Amino acid sequence: MAASPFASRSPSVAVTSPNTLRLKASGGTASKPTPMPDQELTEQLNAEVRQKYVKDKKLGEGTYAVVYLGHLRDDPSSFVAIKKIKVNAEYKDGLTMDAIREVKYLQELSHPNVIALHDVFSSKDQNLSLVLEFLPRGDLEMLIKDGDIQYGAADIKAWMGMLARGVWFCHENFVLHRDIKPNNLLVASDGEVKLADFGLARSFADPYLNMTHQVITRWYRPPELLYGARQYSGAVDVWSMGMVFAELLLRVPFVAGNTDLDQTSKICEAFGTPTEDNWPGVTQLPNYIPTDPAHRVPLQGRDFFLRQFPTAGPVGADLLMSMCALDPRKRSTAVQVLRHNWWTMDPQPTRNEDLPRKTGTKKMGEDLSRRGGEIDDGPFKNAARQLDFGAMK
Amino acid sequence: MAANYWASTQRRHWLFTREKLADIRDGLRERDKVTHSQFPLPDQRLLNIYFNQQLIKLGKRMSTRQQAIATAQVYLKRFYTKNEIRQTNPYLVLTTAFYLACKMEECPQHIRFVVGEARGLWPEFITHDVAKLGECEFALISEMSSQLIVHHPYRTLTELQTDLSLSSDEVALGWSVINDHYLTDLPLLHPPHVIGIMAIIIAVVFKPAHPGNFGNSAQSALAATMRDGGMNNLAYALSDKTGPGAPRIHKLVQWLAESDVDIKAVVECTQELLSLYEVWEQYSEKHCKELIGRMVKSKNLDK
Repeated sequence: MAASPFASRSPSVAVTSPNTLRLKASGGTASKPTPMPDQELTEQLNAEVRQKYVKDKKLGEGTYAVVYLGHLRDDPSSFVAIKKIKVNAEYKDGLTMDAIREVKYLQELSHPNVIALHDVFSSKDQNLSLVLEFLPRGDLEMLIKDGDIQYGAADIKAWMGMLARGVWFCHENFVLHRDIKPNNLLVASDGEVKLADFGLARSFADPYLNMTHQVITRWYRPPELLYGARQYSGAVDVWSMGMVFAELLLRVPFVAGNTDLDQTSKICEAFGTPTEDNWPGVTQLPNYIPTDPAHRVPLQGRDFFLRQFPTAGPVGADLLMSMCALDPRKRSTAVQVLRHNWWTMDPQPTRNEDLPRKTGTKKMGEDLSRRGGEIDDGPFKNAARQLDFGAMK
Repeated sequence: MAANYWASTQRRHWLFTREKLADIRDGLRERDKVTHSQFPLPDQRLLNIYFNQQLIKLGKRMSTRQQAIATAQVYLKRFYTKNEIRQTNPYLVLTTAFYLACKMEECPQHIRFVVGEARGLWPEFITHDVAKLGECEFALISEMSSQLIVHHPYRTLTELQTDLSLSSDEVALGWSVINDHYLTDLPLLHPPHVIGIMAIIIAVVFKPAHPGNFGNSAQSALAATMRDGGMNNLAYALSDKTGPGAPRIHKLVQWLAESDVDIKAVVECTQELLSLYEVWEQYSEKHCKELIGRMVKSKNLDK
């Protein structure tokens, strides 16, 4: 730990590994009063945590973090991912909101479908390292894109089930994820899907408190955010979940706009044009774009979803439709999604051990080091929006 | 609010018994007896009043949410259970706690802005160097084991407002009582709902004769009433079923009886607040400022 708010501390007791080893060797850690009054107890604890892990090779690097493979010192077979948050070296501007949010929420959330945060430690060069659960089997995006991998309705049901449980758990704890997309859904060695990257997450605002609409990667962003809504709910994550569902079925993103404006018009073409009739209040949203009545697409019904997504079956199409309602108030909540008939119908979801697999440690490195809201490949690589600190509420 | 209080790090790691807290502080004192005798500081609660007033000054300059100030105060408390205040520059820790709390409560301020405003208030103790604050933030997060979510009692108050049909005056007074409890150790001793209920009881029972604007603190409005009657007043009010306002109080008592809230803890909180208001009479901003200033300057803690 850095000794910043403390004035005088001799350099010899700055936290470095040899010092910690010496402490350990002399047996003077937690039980006895420490022989060195300057060595803060928390520094020892931090050093102990750091000593618990061994950092191995680098898995990936992004704008926001470097991810390493690591393992427990005591047990070389127990792998972890160590995400070292980059600090701006030139001028230290404090930790970014992404890092803060990630630590903040992962410290409190513990669920089989949310990536586990085992430990947090800091190093002498003032970097924060998060020790995360190691998820070696890549992400859903890889599975979707890999033409060599065949998967079917039962597999999709298994993946969607895990996603829905993870999202439900976040919402139940008043946390919005705000960046659900296939490459944030990582796969554990036992096949379990885990929601990762909480860099854009936040707790539900108190009623009437504004939030930013500049969240969620564009293709997975719901219409209310594209229209600039500043007050919204878990429905934003449910829309993203619906888009992931559609993408799993089609194996390509379902509505992939080039710009925010293009995204809005693609959503209108696909699902129908929002009007005061099908979405009361929509015209009052800050960035609402009036539509030409002559070109309005009527709200799509059940047949459309059945036609577009034949592999989902009629009940699956019904679930998807409930997740893609334009009006967020009419959209299913995470609980309603989980209570849908589809889950109990045949085919039964594939058991985890039988799910199609792919190994992708490099991918985990990339996924974890990316900044929230970025699409990391394709023609939109540079289109990622930077979050505006001032506008963020 | 985020996550579940009952499973939270606040409940698991940052809730102490009175004895434990005293032990921790004795431990800190034992390790540095000399500095303690060299640099006496006022009663912890008086220091808290001073820090609170400084935080409010800082917050006012940037129109911050009340909740961020509350979170910052809890961060200070947590930090100083692990570190001896005499080893730190309290002004830097204070500013950092404020900066981090703003990010946590989703009302972030730019680090340069925070440093600029803090320098405006305490030019002798805060340097131009933004990196100092960045480093201290890092230290603060480490010392708190990255456990950053704080559950506050304000929500209990607003949620029970309708159930207990509280008037807007009572809510305002209850809110001020909650603001005041951050000046005590209560945030480290009791869960937020107990404190919220304590605030409601005080607001309903000790309703001052001249309701109006209580400002940030309920001290002026309540100190006299509470001192005169003290706990007898409370006990009397709670058992009296005929006096003025009796049906309201009766309803509250009924509700408390049916709830599973730890009444003993609520009474303890009330007493703690009462003694805060007594200590408050000795508060002198100048005195706190001098003692802290002398300590920081002679130990070169601001460098």
